[in-house]
Amino acid sequence: MDLGNFLSALTPLNIALALFGVVAGTVIGSIPGLTATMAVAVLVPITFSMDQASALILLGAIYTGAIYGGAYAAILLNTPGTPSAIATTFDGYPMAKRGDGDLAVALACFASVTGGMIGALALLFLAPPLSQVALAFGPIEYFWLAIFGLSLIASLSSGNLIKGLIGGAFGMILSTVGVAEVSADIRLTFGSQTMIGGFGVVGALIGLYCIPVLIDLVAVPDRHLKVENDMRSVRIGEAARIALRSKFNLIRSSVIGTLVGILPGAGGSVAGLVAYSEARRSAKPDQKFGEGEPDGIMATEAANNATVGGGFIPTLVLGIPGTPPDAVILGALLVQGVRTGPTLFQSNGSIVYTFIYGLIIATILMLPTGLLIGRYAYKSIVKIPKAVLVPSVGFMTIIGTFAIRNSISDVIIMLLLGTFGWVIGRFGFAASPIVLGLILGPIAEQGFVQGWIIGDATGNLLGMFFGRPLSQAIIAFTILSLLYPAFSAWKRSRTEAGR
Amino acid sequence: MRTVHGNLGSLVLSAFFVFAGIMVLYDTTGYSDSDSKVFPQTVATVLIVFSVIAFVSGLLRPLDEEGFGNGSWWRRFALVVTMLLACFAMPYIGFLAAGAIAFAGGLISAMHDHWTPGKLVLYWGSGAVIMAAFYAVFKFALLVPLP
Repeated sequence: MDLGNFLSALTPLNIALALFGVVAGTVIGSIPGLTATMAVAVLVPITFSMDQASALILLGAIYTGAIYGGAYAAILLNTPGTPSAIATTFDGYPMAKRGDGDLAVALACFASVTGGMIGALALLFLAPPLSQVALAFGPIEYFWLAIFGLSLIASLSSGNLIKGLIGGAFGMILSTVGVAEVSADIRLTFGSQTMIGGFGVVGALIGLYCIPVLIDLVAVPDRHLKVENDMRSVRIGEAARIALRSKFNLIRSSVIGTLVGILPGAGGSVAGLVAYSEARRSAKPDQKFGEGEPDGIMATEAANNATVGGGFIPTLVLGIPGTPPDAVILGALLVQGVRTGPTLFQSNGSIVYTFIYGLIIATILMLPTGLLIGRYAYKSIVKIPKAVLVPSVGFMTIIGTFAIRNSISDVIIMLLLGTFGWVIGRFGFAASPIVLGLILGPIAEQGFVQGWIIGDATGNLLGMFFGRPLSQAIIAFTILSLLYPAFSAWKRSRTEAGR
Repeated sequence: MRTVHGNLGSLVLSAFFVFAGIMVLYDTTGYSDSDSKVFPQTVATVLIVFSVIAFVSGLLRPLDEEGFGNGSWWRRFALVVTMLLACFAMPYIGFLAAGAIAFAGGLISAMHDHWTPGKLVLYWGSGAVIMAAFYAVFKFALLVPLP
């Protein structure tokens, strides 16, 4: 961690690679269906001929850019560009619909840079001790973490908790379709070969979020997004003031993102959801989450970009990838001849520190590039006539879903699920709980079954599920998260009654 | 527009989710490993319980749901059906032709203005450019084996 490594990161080549990576990642991440993992995987081959630190800087920059790019489609099209931007849709799209899409894009950029910086700084200063957190998490903690994520249903279903819980349970059932992860049983395919692969999360996301919007858009002649007469550029000053006012939310969400990023397999989507849940739980009474609340966007975007630095901690220190893109980067490292593990920071210190500084530079570069790309993305989406926008987005949903597993069946499932999502949405069943169930279901199942087996074998089932301190802390947060909406409503009704 | 049909729709969907839960429980009887059963059985039971609660409360206290509301039905139908048809036709006519069908369906169903020669050329032309660009990027840059 010396000046030499910092200067190595600052070479023109490394800065150019960081800039290219951020731009390429942002563009790829903004296309629904192309995830951060795909962005990194597609561009890995071009790093093979580079020196190790430069290759890492490029991959890190692509990764961080792709996570941020997911916010564009989430805000402007109600379709998360990447799964980590799911919770960005909750407030981003309502903001865009009311004419604040430019502000939402700028807020997402500020939050992503803040989250990315905190994650990268944690990687720089705290990597070895924080990597122990990953080891402290057993299957039960993963189970409770998934349940904590699911508790967000309570706040997403204001007005009808039962329907939210039905959606969450239905989503978890959809997540079990196909070959069971814990055994070899084929579940819920009802003899169909098509269903053996199960429901792809990204395809389901595209279907449940994007198709209902398209169905609603074609039905009426109204514009896609509200447009001000005097078309403003991205509202940087206003966004900076809001971000500064919500600095505690930004820091807390970034810390959550870093910590969740450290946990192998959890990733940006879980981090975004947990941070959103916490932001909502600790909101002031006048903040209306789900209706275009800036804090909702900032919480999600800060957390998902913080997972980039957080995810590199177990990847580099333990050789365990924290997030799916980290697994691809780990593979690229092995090709480069870099052996990850506890001694990496000593044996290859110059490479690792140069890379971390490069990641910080890429994150800083994301601010101007993100705002610039965001400005044009917003203006383009607003200016395109609806008659062209709808079929273009429809075409993107088809090609994006197909690209995930090269499967036409996935595209058909995406369309049917989207239509189903539109139908149930008309009767008070929201899509978000289904998506939560679909994403968190596999994590919950694996943790639940493994914990059950261990508890059963040790003869201490209750102790296994409820006796571990880390589990107890997560359970406490879950209860708080579940009860808070009811408590908040009770407090509000008392205040109104007092008037 | 909130209608009584909204409540009927809620009841139908609650019944559907009860049915889905029962189907899951039935399916789990065929699994060889008990580890595969425990999670879907638990979740299906939860699904059935909540769906029954939603159904009963919908009967006792009719909900004020939005229902299908207003808007053009043929446009919604045309959009979904053309996209589905395009997907089913994809293995036979190729990705680009199928994508063109889906695009045409979307364009026609989303077009609420009067067609003019200028719009005709501009909209269909931009559609062709967008499709060609995405096709080229996915097929040749990202190496996705599009049919």
